[in-house]
Amino acid sequence: MVRSATNTGNRLFMYSPSFLKIIGFIVVILIFFIPIVRLIFLSFTSEGGLSLEHYYEVLHSPVTWRTLFNTLIIVTGSTILSVILGLLTAWLVAYTNIQNKKLLQAFIFLPFVIPSYITTLAWTQFMGVNGPVALLLNSLPGNLEPMNLYSLTGIILVMGFSHYPLVYLLTISVLRKIPRELEMAAKVSGGSRFTSFRKVTMPLALPGIASGGLLAFLASLDNFGIPAFLGIPANIRVLSTYIYEQIIGFGPSAFAKGATLSVILGIFAIIGTLIQWLLLRRSKQFETSREDHEPRIILSTKKRVIIESGLWFFLISTSLVPLLSMTSTSLIKAYGLDFSLQNISFKHYEFILFSSTKSQEAIQNSLKLASIITLVGLFIGTFIAYLRVRQPSFFNKTIEGMISIPYALPGTVLALAMIFTWLEPLPGWNPGIYGSIWIMYIAYFTRFLILQIRGSVTSLLQIDVSMEDAAMTSGASSYIKWRKILIPLILPGVLSGAFLVFLTALTELTVSSLLWSSGSETIGLVIFNFEQAGYTTHSTAFSTIILLLILVGFLAIFLIQKLWERKVFHNGNRD
Amino acid sequence: MITIKKTFSFVIIFLFLVACSSNDSEPTGAEEGTENNEQTAIEGDLSFYTSQPDEDAQKLVDAFKGKFPDVNVEIFRSGTEEVISKIQAENQAGEVQADVLLVADAVTFENLKSEDLLLSYKSEETSEIPETFVDKDGMYTGTKVMATVLAVNTEKVTDLPDSWNVLTTEEAKGQSIMPSPLYSGAAAYNLGVFTRNDEFNWDFYEKLRENEVMITEGNGAVQQAVAAGEKSYGMVVDFIIARAKAEGSPIDLIYPKEGVPVITEPIAIMKNTSNEAAAKAFVDFVLSEEGQKLAAEIGYTPIRKGVDAPEGLKSIEEMDVLEAELSDLYQARETDKEEFNSMFGDQ
Repeated sequence: MVRSATNTGNRLFMYSPSFLKIIGFIVVILIFFIPIVRLIFLSFTSEGGLSLEHYYEVLHSPVTWRTLFNTLIIVTGSTILSVILGLLTAWLVAYTNIQNKKLLQAFIFLPFVIPSYITTLAWTQFMGVNGPVALLLNSLPGNLEPMNLYSLTGIILVMGFSHYPLVYLLTISVLRKIPRELEMAAKVSGGSRFTSFRKVTMPLALPGIASGGLLAFLASLDNFGIPAFLGIPANIRVLSTYIYEQIIGFGPSAFAKGATLSVILGIFAIIGTLIQWLLLRRSKQFETSREDHEPRIILSTKKRVIIESGLWFFLISTSLVPLLSMTSTSLIKAYGLDFSLQNISFKHYEFILFSSTKSQEAIQNSLKLASIITLVGLFIGTFIAYLRVRQPSFFNKTIEGMISIPYALPGTVLALAMIFTWLEPLPGWNPGIYGSIWIMYIAYFTRFLILQIRGSVTSLLQIDVSMEDAAMTSGASSYIKWRKILIPLILPGVLSGAFLVFLTALTELTVSSLLWSSGSETIGLVIFNFEQAGYTTHSTAFSTIILLLILVGFLAIFLIQKLWERKVFHNGNRD
Repeated sequence: MITIKKTFSFVIIFLFLVACSSNDSEPTGAEEGTENNEQTAIEGDLSFYTSQPDEDAQKLVDAFKGKFPDVNVEIFRSGTEEVISKIQAENQAGEVQADVLLVADAVTFENLKSEDLLLSYKSEETSEIPETFVDKDGMYTGTKVMATVLAVNTEKVTDLPDSWNVLTTEEAKGQSIMPSPLYSGAAAYNLGVFTRNDEFNWDFYEKLRENEVMITEGNGAVQQAVAAGEKSYGMVVDFIIARAKAEGSPIDLIYPKEGVPVITEPIAIMKNTSNEAAAKAFVDFVLSEEGQKLAAEIGYTPIRKGVDAPEGLKSIEEMDVLEAELSDLYQARETDKEEFNSMFGDQ
């Protein structure tokens, strides 16, 4: 009996992944590979047939090289900034005894949730000629001027501030799981706190840092809003804005040129993924089962207060200022009036909440889209992540690289590739997917799956394979192994990934703006619409409402996570 | 296990074959059937692609449906650039899905016309519309008049100017803002018109550059910067300024004495429309007196003679229009943009 049970377990273990792998392979080919192939094919197409004409033309233009140079600087700079900020904040929250951690965490997420055009606008006002920074500097001696945000440095700063929550989110649970015994051991052996950080904490936290860093990198590559707002006045182009310029050139070769540049951008994304693989090689696994929420470093009150004030100053200027600027705009009767008592009105909120049926439909649509994508992604993404971690073959890595490209491509390009692929998946056959809500589901899935995979990979990397082996030798089936061992252990990290998918899908704009059809308006589209029609006050009011909804949702997830942890550890899984 | 694999690959091959075979028979037959029916009655689905703000497009469609309740109009709305990209992509992928198209400016339509994507239709309503705004081959017709005007922040500028040249004066140095022709269709049109006008030509843009004009992505950003007082002057389409002014923003619009470039948001029927009758009825409605009054109600300057402009905007008879030969603009748009780019991008 015992013997046969072990056998079934082993057989399932050996065969079921390969069987599921085929399904996974086909899905990935269909959904991820074909749009990319169509795009690559397009970049080689010219009027006379296949040729390298567009590459020749694009690579011979000095503008392209300047653009590539700018992109490299901006993406690298903002990724480094995001990693430093994300790691630092995560380390402080996870390790030290600073107070009000939950509140801090909520503030850290804000920049990620506020639409980037609002963040950018708030920053330019903050640093503007009449802004608070200028006033402060004027009162000081010397001829100090606020920083010019319409510059490479400005773009790097705003992007870094917008994307560091990605690193924070993927690092925090990793840090909490690092066994404190290891760090103590390092200390006891005579290492300083820094040595222990470098030799123990960093290598163990690497899965989180690399995942978060990769996502920040990809997000910076794709970002259009920030370089468009801050780059156009300074005549700074990056790949995403340059591609947009090419596509709206409308000429006969516009798409082909855009596709050519997109292929170049895809190469950037793949290089980023490669660097991440190299980093992960050096990461270590460990056996730990729970997050450790107790502070490990007790700071003296004086030190703590200094660090806390520094952190709060940073968070208030990067999170609260944009938020307040948005909220205050939504409360003024008309854009441009002073923020004073007689100019305050709630009429924009009234309009959004009670008169505008479009807004309510959009909230419903986006919620539906985001939750279904999150749920589907949760399963498929975690499964791909599992294959990727346990069988890191070249093939599995390639799949991961492929899945990361749609997240890095500018939304417009991905949407165009979707039209090419899904209008007539087979020549002459239009199944009606394009033009219905289904194309949105497919596009969102394609774009955001990588977020789930990164979240799941991060938590799976931390679980040593011996845990699974132990389950196997004790005769557990695949199902039992997942149900009893893996899921409880990886859940916090997996949920972080799901949280990212949900948030980004909820406010997505660029892909939707080319693919939506009547009745499938999303939140992003409605905001974009108000903005384009000149109703800034409506768009900010709507954004504020969405932000409040997200905060409420965030709180709910937090509570569920807490309940789950209590349940898991109550059952005596510990020890 | 091997059997499972085999069954599985069989299922896949089978599905693939089914997909292939169905593509030959059903859909084409169904399409022909509907086409025949729709030639006679005004009913069925009509796909309307537009760059008008959502609410305005909805009002137009609602009014049309009041007259033709059997037509089910589907709206796709986005910026002009996105709408055209979508149409181009659909065209490359197989078939344009739009039946009727309404986007910013005539130059864009010239482009589609040259690619043979439009259907010629001379609506009877065009007799009441100024000739310059109607394509002579009947491919497209202007639906309203949108002028690019001078916007000023009324808190910072008390002495209202009356000429475009205020933008090149010392007082406007570093204080003016305009949308980038590389991103905004209206701005690209303006660039073509101004540089082909003797009074301005490229010198005007050169002076703007010397005067440190700020370039932004779109018209919306210009309106915000001027309303917020970040800049004093802006070059921007009239209707969003009129709206902000009506809401109470400290902003005003001026039609400079030299004249204003206008775009006309033309409407056209796509060549491969599957519902020609409804598409024609829709175009007729937009150009009719009723449709034009609706446009004025929403807040646009109507294009049809004899329909009054909404408050705060000038009617087409009252404004001086800066014009240029359309075919020139169409031919030269790319080189204009490049020239602009090398002028402003010297860093």
